[in-house]
Amino acid sequence: MTRVAPLSAEEIADPELKALIAEAEALGVPDDLFPRILARAPAQAVPLMRALLMSHARGNVDHQLKEIMRVLLARFAQDKYFAGLRSNKARGAGLTEARIDAGCFAYEDDGKGFSEAEKCALRYADLMFLDAKQIDKAFYDELKKHWSEAQIMELGAFIAFHYGMQMFMRSLGATAPIAPADGT
Amino acid sequence: MSTNPDAVDDALFGELRRHYSDDEIVELAAFVGFNLGYHTFFGTLKFYPLFSPDGRLVSQAESEALYGAAPVSLNKPQAAE
Repeated sequence: MTRVAPLSAEEIADPELKALIAEAEALGVPDDLFPRILARAPAQAVPLMRALLMSHARGNVDHQLKEIMRVLLARFAQDKYFAGLRSNKARGAGLTEARIDAGCFAYEDDGKGFSEAEKCALRYADLMFLDAKQIDKAFYDELKKHWSEAQIMELGAFIAFHYGMQMFMRSLGATAPIAPADGT
Repeated sequence: MSTNPDAVDDALFGELRRHYSDDEIVELAAFVGFNLGYHTFFGTLKFYPLFSPDGRLVSQAESEALYGAAPVSLNKPQAAE
């Protein structure tokens, strides 16, 4: 039970929002709770849903890496809702819970098999809301060794947007409707 | 939400409801979430306001001189761990 009740599916008439909800349910992130709450602010619901889906499932950065980053951020945000959701697309491509946990808690460990580019991206997500002052020119210079400027902007915007929406759901007291299935 | 998310509780929502509808609270919370995410990101990019306090369009170098070497968004307390 969230602090503000979501609209029922029947109360949502906007065909664009309904299509985005269907797209999100196929992806698995978010489920219908997030858009049914957002639907209370109809001017915001469609663009925010579109941005959430596009930033996560499209673009020029590997979706599995962004799924790990998304869970890392949700755990840091203490948002049980988004932390408990998993991308069916990433899981279908072979992403396991063990890999997600390694990416959240031990990505710097060479034995975990993350590339230097992946480590740098995960560090970017890790530091953004832990200590943004560490994301300085030297940090961006290191990012540029592994990623194009377009990819860095994609990563940064992804981190910023998903963390913001995770804090939104945390503020509403949302919990995950189901425990994340073990994909191992 | 930004500096002390643990304080966003039922009591705060009760107080919000004295002034805003549930629809307005959702709009506010989404706005705050969006901005706390993006302004932290923008702060790391170290870019500065396009306008001076008196409304002149200024260069990034002049803006940095006006507003300081460290972006304001990085000087606030960080979100709780």
